[in-house]
Amino acid sequence: MTILHWPADGDPGLAGWTLETSPLPEDAGAPAGLRLTLRDGDGALLATAALQPRAGLNTPRHWFHVGQTVHAAPDLGLFKVQRTLLLGSDLCGGAELHALDVGGLAALEAPVRRRALVWLTDTAALQVSQEPEVWGPGLFCELPGLRSAEGGPEGDPDGPATLEHSPFWRGLPAHFFRGDPADAAARLGPGWRTHLAALLPRQLIHASFLSDAAQAAVGVERPDARWVREALEGSGWTWRQQVRIDDGGPVLQR
Amino acid sequence: MTPPPDDAYVLRPATPQDLPDLERMAEAAAVGITTLPADRQALLDRLERSQQAFGTADDASGEEIYHFVLEDTAAGRVVGTSGIAASAGFADRFYSYRNEMVVHASAALGQSNRIHTLHLCHDLTGHTLLTSFYIEPAYAHTAAPQLLSRGRLLFIAQFAERFADRIAAESPGLADDAGRCPFWDAVGRRFFDRDYPTIEQLAGGRSKAFIAEMMPHSPIYVPLLPEAAQWAIGQLHPQAELPFSILLDEGFDTETYVDIFDGGPTVDARLAMLRTVRRSIVARAHASLPDEGARGDAGRWLIATTDRATFRATLAPADRRADGLHIDDAAHVRLGLRLGMRQGTGPAAEVRAAPLRDDEEMPR
Repeated sequence: MTILHWPADGDPGLAGWTLETSPLPEDAGAPAGLRLTLRDGDGALLATAALQPRAGLNTPRHWFHVGQTVHAAPDLGLFKVQRTLLLGSDLCGGAELHALDVGGLAALEAPVRRRALVWLTDTAALQVSQEPEVWGPGLFCELPGLRSAEGGPEGDPDGPATLEHSPFWRGLPAHFFRGDPADAAARLGPGWRTHLAALLPRQLIHASFLSDAAQAAVGVERPDARWVREALEGSGWTWRQQVRIDDGGPVLQR
Repeated sequence: MTPPPDDAYVLRPATPQDLPDLERMAEAAAVGITTLPADRQALLDRLERSQQAFGTADDASGEEIYHFVLEDTAAGRVVGTSGIAASAGFADRFYSYRNEMVVHASAALGQSNRIHTLHLCHDLTGHTLLTSFYIEPAYAHTAAPQLLSRGRLLFIAQFAERFADRIAAESPGLADDAGRCPFWDAVGRRFFDRDYPTIEQLAGGRSKAFIAEMMPHSPIYVPLLPEAAQWAIGQLHPQAELPFSILLDEGFDTETYVDIFDGGPTVDARLAMLRTVRRSIVARAHASLPDEGARGDAGRWLIATTDRATFRATLAPADRRADGLHIDDAAHVRLGLRLGMRQGTGPAAEVRAAPLRDDEEMPR
């Protein structure tokens, strides 16, 4: 276990804060990861996350890749750009920053919480870049997608599933899944999406076959994660057209 | 109007002189009901191409189209039309959607779901295509549609070297009177932003392959379509039920393909497996009155001549005997067979014929 202290010459808003990294217990043959824990000067928990090496190699993981096709018939004045979704496992083998819980930061001033989050994620990224042979070739982080037309409810997107009002879920996976996704998620845990993928279309899907609401939800984060996305994208993370298969939430990479 | 007796019909090649009748029928047909263009010049071009195809001494290239008209000789008028395209998608590709089922299963989730998908394919390219069927409504319940549709099969069987050994036929799918089509609205429209009649106008009689170029080439997952569109897959336009039922009775497969634009069923079969072809015989025609017993439906035959340029087909009572097919004078006249032949003073003409009704059990 190592504990980092916020540098004295840093933002005084974070004075006395600590970032603790500790090994996670090995999980059923999967390589062990790290837990990152951010506390303020009084020791109060502000944020936690887990860093998983070589994600998705023991249990396959899946995402939709958002692509584009262009169909044109110039002599008829027809020109059509279409978004597409293709199920794949592009990110398997990379390190994953997951179980990101930043609830303790949400109420803080924007510059402070942003700096704190970047401290945590930069620390994780440094681990990965120093030992790529251990962690994998890159780092990714899933953000929760819209869980209702308004966005919420908040909370762990891999917790008790709250998909039934998610516009992306209703527009795509729900057509290929019978029953209540909450039951499956409760029974199988976060890995339930691996099994969900087995029920989803394997071939290229043109997004225009989805409802307007589902199309609009592709790659869109839940409102309470908007500041997280902005902070990450401001510190070297990018969205490379990968989305979660259940709610369409964006997957950021660096 | 009382339908005329069934023995007054003649199926013959259409000629440019039939243009007014064909124009009338093209207009009477609802949107998408036939492949007859409603444009006069386009129709005339087709008739000239057809006349060339019937008359030419050249070998077939596959480009040929054959247009037939059905005459009610009692009324002295043309009451229906039908056609054949020798090779579907000639010099281009002929697109269809093929119905396929994939099973998505997860043991952990305890689910195994049969998913209906539509695959854009060229399977029917090069098949001979039955086209342009139209019969005046007053004749729908007579035997005339049988002659109009199945006479083509006798023609194809007789001149098999000019056709493929596989036959297909498109049938119009569900659409309302304004041409609104649930399948098009759910599929094609997403790639064109236009309604179907507009696209047909744009295509302007060209091969519709260019439209397919705009469509997705990955399978369509049917569960993603609106219910009305799902339901329309493989569904017939009500006005197409009659010609479709004739093809069904012939033994065409109706399950495999649908039209990429309106979702109507596209049937296909091996020529040799079709009922009319299997049951058809080539025989000498002799002039004599068939027995009274042969006067009912059971004794009636579809009878076609075996000369391409002067092709005729008709319905008539006939007796099949050891020396050939015995048919009456009137049928000889309708088929344009010469007097000498009728009186047995010359060589008897050869005809190809198949029973109108056929109760033989056929594998389906």
